[in-house]
Amino acid sequence: MAVATGSAPVDQTAQDARQPPTRKRRWWRSKSAIAAYIFIAPYVVFFVVFRILPAIFGIGLSFGEYSLTGALTFVGLDHYARLFADPNFWGALWVTLKYAAIAMPMTVVLSLAIAQLCNRMMRGMAFYRSIFFLPAVTSPVLSGLIFVWIFSESGPINRLLSAVGLEPISWLQDSFWVLPALALVSAWMNFGYNMLILLAGMLAIPQEYYEAAAIDGANGWQRFWRITLPSLRPALFFVLVLETVKSFQTFDTIFVMTGGGPVRASYTLTFMLYDQGFGYFDFGYASAVGVVLLIIALVFSLIQRRLVGRDD
Amino acid sequence: MSITRDLSPAPAPTPPRMSGSMPLSRRLTRARRLAPMHVLLIAVAVVTAFPFYAMVMIAFQPGQAIVLPDSMFPDRLSVAAFEDALNSQNIPQWALNSAIYSVVSVVIVLLLASMAGYAFAKKRFAGREVIFWVFLAMLMIPYHLTIIPQYLIVGGLNGLDTMWGMIAATIANAQAMFLMRQFIYSIPDEMLDAAKIDGAGEFRIYWSIVLPQTKPIMATLGTFVFLWHWNDFLWPMISQQSPENYVLTVGLNTLQEQQVPLATMMAAAVVSFIPTLIIFIVLQRYFVRGVMMSGMK
Repeated sequence: MAVATGSAPVDQTAQDARQPPTRKRRWWRSKSAIAAYIFIAPYVVFFVVFRILPAIFGIGLSFGEYSLTGALTFVGLDHYARLFADPNFWGALWVTLKYAAIAMPMTVVLSLAIAQLCNRMMRGMAFYRSIFFLPAVTSPVLSGLIFVWIFSESGPINRLLSAVGLEPISWLQDSFWVLPALALVSAWMNFGYNMLILLAGMLAIPQEYYEAAAIDGANGWQRFWRITLPSLRPALFFVLVLETVKSFQTFDTIFVMTGGGPVRASYTLTFMLYDQGFGYFDFGYASAVGVVLLIIALVFSLIQRRLVGRDD
Repeated sequence: MSITRDLSPAPAPTPPRMSGSMPLSRRLTRARRLAPMHVLLIAVAVVTAFPFYAMVMIAFQPGQAIVLPDSMFPDRLSVAAFEDALNSQNIPQWALNSAIYSVVSVVIVLLLASMAGYAFAKKRFAGREVIFWVFLAMLMIPYHLTIIPQYLIVGGLNGLDTMWGMIAATIANAQAMFLMRQFIYSIPDEMLDAAKIDGAGEFRIYWSIVLPQTKPIMATLGTFVFLWHWNDFLWPMISQQSPENYVLTVGLNTLQEQQVPLATMMAAAVVSFIPTLIIFIVLQRYFVRGVMMSGMK
């Protein structure tokens, strides 16, 4: 041991002595570094112009008034003052939270249940999994268009309801049912993706855990609660975060299916941003809504970090 | 977001395969035990697939009615709606636009992301860490906040209502670059050094040593980027104003607003879904790998 530590500095000097003289050249002036700059340059240019500038510009716009002639005037916190006095904003915030509170748990529970269902070796399992994943690659616009029909007055769901003697519901025209209906569409679109993530987590759980539990006489339900769920925590957490973000940002299906209606019952913050920005061309006001979205994202990622920090 | 995390392909533990040489009696008990599972799985599969069935069924409805078919199992099928859709002025044009938007974006994203990923993985240069962390931090910014400035910037470059303007705004894909970097990081340095000793220039090393190695990740990323563009809606909608420049998703939505017969609309929907389906069937394993990578720590 002592010999080893003693010999280390010797090795070091020996190595230094063998350094080629070119090493004196600063490494960032080296040919390799210049090549690196050339390699990243196109990417960086696009990134700066279409990601970083818009982000800064977007926050800046919320403090300014942009006229269609291209002139930008500073208006301070005017947009925020207007925002906080705007009942439509509070309505949109409430709808956003309500939608997330419905869509996120619905999707996660469904994903978990189906992942559990798929977590076994069976003939035809690959086929079932493919079917379950198919909605995840379908465009939200396409899904929205089909579900408009499925939820329509004489659509299959209402036909099913009348077949069992219930009153038909006008899902997308009813301010109570519109959010659950939209949440159902996103659950249908997203569960396949989450299912795969959860399935990967489930496959990584050592089989021995289940064998030991079986010897101890645990039933399937107990095995799920005591072994699968705790071992699945990282994957489940990832799915939770993903679904939370997605549910806050849902736009396409709402645009296609309800246009924010009925009477703003599905008018979310992202929809308000679009509506103010491209409906009224009030870019400054719309950007203030965008900053609120940014703050919500930051708050949620802080909570997430706090939770992860405690877990690890 | 954790697409950016460590991508070391986690060893997928393969559960013991069921052996094919089980005695018949045991196979029968097993089949009986699994029967309720199959019933359950089939039920979920039917519910999951129903919207696709509905789309295809409506598309093959005869007649021009905006109203809905009476039966889930029509006795008459007709391709009239497909003829309408394909003979219409716009739908083939929109499909072409979607294809250009997606394919060109995939090529550029893969090229630029692999170049940048290579530099970030294998080269030392001043500012590497800073630039990298700025890229990472930008993932925190909600996309919708940037869409108005993006519209104004593309407008300032006279790129609105043009194909290049629509594509240019979407190719700075941070996730793609991170995935590339992670993957290229695992290519042994010795390979690059060997090429250098053989006198290969910087670009040649990238082109003939690094790029061929990235084939698996290219396939995964390519499928994702393609579908992301093929299904994209909000940005194409606000950046393209003339109907002949719409992509399929945007066009489909306008069909709905124009009260086009439902069968024609669904026929167009089927047309828009066919490339997705083909890609899904052919490249499914790359998808599955990509999704699983995104969930792995």
